[in-house]
Amino acid sequence: MKARLLSWIQPAVTGIGLIALWYLIKKISGVPSFILPSPDEVLRAAWDERSVLISAVMLTSRGAVLGFLAAVGVGFFLAMALGFSPRIKASFYPYILVLQMMPVTILAPVFVLWLGQGLPSIVAITFMIGFFPVVANTTMGFVSVDRNLQELFLMCKATRGQEVRYLRIPGAMPYFLTGMKIAGTLAPIGAIVGDFLAGSAQGGQGGIGYMTIAYFSQLKTPALFATGLTACLLGFVFVGGVNWLHWRLLHQWHDSMVKKE
Amino acid sequence: MNQPPLVKINRVGKRFGSGPLVLDGVELAVQRGEFVSFIGPSGCGKSTLLRLIAGLTEASSGELVIDGMTPENARELMFFVFQDANLLPWRRVADNVELPLLLRGDPTVRRQERVAHMLEVVGLAAAAQRFPWQLSGGMRMRVSIARALSVAPQILLLDEPFGALDEMTRDKLNEDLLAIRARDPFTGFFVTHSVTEAVYLSTRIVVLSANPGRIAQVIEVPFAYPRPAELRETPEFLQLLAKTSRALRAVRNN
Repeated sequence: MKARLLSWIQPAVTGIGLIALWYLIKKISGVPSFILPSPDEVLRAAWDERSVLISAVMLTSRGAVLGFLAAVGVGFFLAMALGFSPRIKASFYPYILVLQMMPVTILAPVFVLWLGQGLPSIVAITFMIGFFPVVANTTMGFVSVDRNLQELFLMCKATRGQEVRYLRIPGAMPYFLTGMKIAGTLAPIGAIVGDFLAGSAQGGQGGIGYMTIAYFSQLKTPALFATGLTACLLGFVFVGGVNWLHWRLLHQWHDSMVKKE
Repeated sequence: MNQPPLVKINRVGKRFGSGPLVLDGVELAVQRGEFVSFIGPSGCGKSTLLRLIAGLTEASSGELVIDGMTPENARELMFFVFQDANLLPWRRVADNVELPLLLRGDPTVRRQERVAHMLEVVGLAAAAQRFPWQLSGGMRMRVSIARALSVAPQILLLDEPFGALDEMTRDKLNEDLLAIRARDPFTGFFVTHSVTEAVYLSTRIVVLSANPGRIAQVIEVPFAYPRPAELRETPEFLQLLAKTSRALRAVRNN
């Protein structure tokens, strides 16, 4: 109980310290608020701009969720194909790497050319950022099957399909979920970057990336900071969701989750 | 003994790739209902011999005939109990026992009945819903045996199943294995390092020498089944124990 309380108090103290430091720096340096707003100005801006920020966050989450789902879905099946045979892996893996190496700032205009400004491009960019960790981790999971378990399936005269269903997919699950966790942290960032590079403001309303540009050009720095705060919250919600899924699927059996008494 | 042997090993040799000979000229005929132990120094190829019977690896020379079939085609008659329990960590105890039946395509009701029966037999009915990590090493091995016997194999191959367990657990599992065999008879092949275990369980003990693995001696164990736990303390048992240990020592000193 005491340890638990402490685990809340420690970060809270650090947080208060950091905020105090922020005030101190602002006070001593005397910079104007459009360079460095104080924490209360940021909170006030967040409140004043709440309707804009909420709709921006909704828009961005849509891109993040769709891009994330695409990354996870495509990544999983691609990994299954790569794990299925070393030959397929050898033929395709280098090009997946090439795709991953391609900076998203270069891909973005291409997507805009193909898909136009807006959601489809944002989803595509999010997908590009998130799918590689899923593929890399999941492929690893499909490839590293316990040899003894494989022999068990051999003794059972299991078909290839049965082996995939009852051995390879569950065995790859921890790896897949690790990839999913990384994709989960990247997806909101991907959607924001996507919005920044390829967003459109339908009806004067954009996503978080778009609002960043808008607030910056108007030198509404406190609102810009508030946008950052909102992006953080979105990120936490995303990671929380993925962590929950991770826990849900593994806590009963996987070493990383199981409490040994 | 006019019956053809269930397992016939015909001058079998084995080498892995271009490596040294692991097994050389192994010749053995095993009748239905026997329980044969392979014992010998490490590197004598006793596990390899077991894997050859299972068809998990192929003979480099000679042939194995199991009920008139190649080992690979005879897999339906056999099951393998692996060195570590080799359970699927994400399946509960009952689901692990069910796996071979599931893969074989048995209907659900039959599977459930069989799993319940097997867990009863190995004394783990209360642990049916636990995960493997929640079990002790001995319990895990019981699950592994229950899983193997769920398909009622004619031949059971056991690769040092109790090697990692303490002596008390091992003795108990030996007794239980015989009790299970009395209910669900199978022909057994058993790899072990323990002379006591070999004598207590087997109808015959095959002593192998190393480099390359050859059959050095075959010792008949005359005790009738059921064998009570106290058999291990009788003079006849101890005599056979001594004989087997001597054979093992002779092989080691070669």
